[in-house]
Amino acid sequence: MLLEPGFLIVQTLNGLQLSMLLFLLSIGLSVVFGMMNFINLAHGTLYMVGAYLALSTVRWFDSFWVALALAPLGVALIGALFYAVLLRHMQRQSPMRQVLVTFGLIFVGFDAVRMVWGVLPHTIPVPETLAGRVYVLGEVYPAYRLFIIAIGLAVLAALYAGLERTRLGAVVRAGVDDRTMVAALGIDVERAFFLVFCLGCWLAGLAGVVSAPVFSIFPGMDMSILILTLIVVVVGGPGSLKGAVIGSLVIGMVDTYGQVVAPEFARVTIYALMAAVLLVRPHGLFPVRRTH
Amino acid sequence: MPGRDPLHLPAAAALVVAAGAAWYGGDFFLHEVLAEIAIFAIFAMSLDLLVGYAGLVSLGHAAFFAAGAYATASFTVFLGWPAPAATVAAVGCAAALAAVAGVFAIRVGGVFFIMITLALGQMVYAYFFKAREFGADDGMAGIPRPDLAALGLDAAEPHVFSALTLIAAVAVWVLLLVVVRSPFGAMLVAIHRNESRVRALGCPVQRYKLAAFVLAGAIGGFAGSLIAQHTGFVSPDLGFWTVSGEVLIMVIVGGMGSLVGAALGAAVLVLLRHELSDGAFWEAIGLSADLASYWQFVMGLFFIAVVLLAGDGLYGRLASIARRGRRLRRRGA
Repeated sequence: MLLEPGFLIVQTLNGLQLSMLLFLLSIGLSVVFGMMNFINLAHGTLYMVGAYLALSTVRWFDSFWVALALAPLGVALIGALFYAVLLRHMQRQSPMRQVLVTFGLIFVGFDAVRMVWGVLPHTIPVPETLAGRVYVLGEVYPAYRLFIIAIGLAVLAALYAGLERTRLGAVVRAGVDDRTMVAALGIDVERAFFLVFCLGCWLAGLAGVVSAPVFSIFPGMDMSILILTLIVVVVGGPGSLKGAVIGSLVIGMVDTYGQVVAPEFARVTIYALMAAVLLVRPHGLFPVRRTH
Repeated sequence: MPGRDPLHLPAAAALVVAAGAAWYGGDFFLHEVLAEIAIFAIFAMSLDLLVGYAGLVSLGHAAFFAAGAYATASFTVFLGWPAPAATVAAVGCAAALAAVAGVFAIRVGGVFFIMITLALGQMVYAYFFKAREFGADDGMAGIPRPDLAALGLDAAEPHVFSALTLIAAVAVWVLLLVVVRSPFGAMLVAIHRNESRVRALGCPVQRYKLAAFVLAGAIGGFAGSLIAQHTGFVSPDLGFWTVSGEVLIMVIVGGMGSLVGAALGAAVLVLLRHELSDGAFWEAIGLSADLASYWQFVMGLFFIAVVLLAGDGLYGRLASIARRGRRLRRRGA
């Protein structure tokens, strides 16, 4: 069964789809970590809120595409608010305190979602234009899932161009390398960080919206994806686009194939992989080389 | 540092007296809560050794809690061992797990340590969630408590079992106090303050960190063994990472690096969780009892407020008030 080409193609596409979702989630977390040594445990909550905002938008406007445009913006707005109210004042605090504030937000977010949208799971329909199936190398595959892969690749291309070609991208890369030096050169690292943080929230919201038609939407959907995302960051090595891409691909593929080949050990395979990576490279596959 | 802290013994004594009074005057329900507080106090104190003394902020401590609980369940249910023997074996299992996990975790520091311990903890959770031989996501039931018939007591009675857990909590406090006041404890604090300097002095820093990690894991496993006997039931949820987060909040509420503070934080959080999830509490303050189902919302806000405002925790506040009091007295005299 394992070596049948049809099986391989479908599972590889499934793996690629999960990888792209993980990429959307992990890149924001990873770059923010690289710049500010800060990990937002509520990142999964933003993903969940993105899916729920998509649900409401679809109900009001009856259009997935409006949801795709609006819901991530809503999530970015929530992220900006969180930054202005809490995070901005906490930068001098120890990493533990920052992490624990976002830990508290998980509980707040979980119950807030239950209050607004109830406890029952929801789904939103796949948009009509993408409801069909297409042939990939002779195998039938849902068009919408290919769309998720395409979104991931498009974001990857845009982020690559943004990081390599724009002024903000240069500031971000420099900020990850040596934040103090960048600030000493008179560049507003704070502002760059704020923008990166909001972009990360927007991407988490985007991941929530695009995954909503495939997975069901329920309070608590944030938890399992958060842990996977953190593992991607740990395995890939925080702070770099390359690390997030490779980490997402590795984890997405291993998880997908792991679930099929050894369902008994499903998630455990990922943790074993993470342990193996950490044994060889304690700071992940592509750690940012710090000058200080 | 309890070593130079004149408040530590009186505070511990006050806490023990309060627990004793609550136990003496308590009913069935209060004894159940007291046992839970004592168990979480043990768990929080074990984490405080890591966070407050060695400076290793772990977000995966629940792994050892769950390992201790599952080991106790396995040794009693599968092998028919008496509860005390199972507890000893469970502590050994948790220590062994901590030794393996520690080898991975202590190689990095700071936020990376937080994330790696989180992932390692989730690994244990994922294993128990899937492991059919341990009942997968249903968990295991039927875990016995110690047989105290020889003393004419029945541990199934809440007042007996809560007394046992309170004694265990005091014993763990004494043990940890000895540890943190020993040269080993002093070395942990030194590593926390300035790791490079300690390393430059020729001290095997990693070995000390690993030893602290294993000791904390073993005591966490002891707490897990007690919770399994307390509820008679184990489930993968014991090892979920939010449990690790909550016990870390307990340490912060009470004040890091003061064992009594961790116990105090455990008491505050366990009581708060019971009150907030109880409709009667919300009615008593004039609100709808339905709010009880949203207790996590309030708890989350409380966590955030604690982390933002608490500084060095309840115990730290108490200590600074006591210091000010002493200074005033000295000036008066």
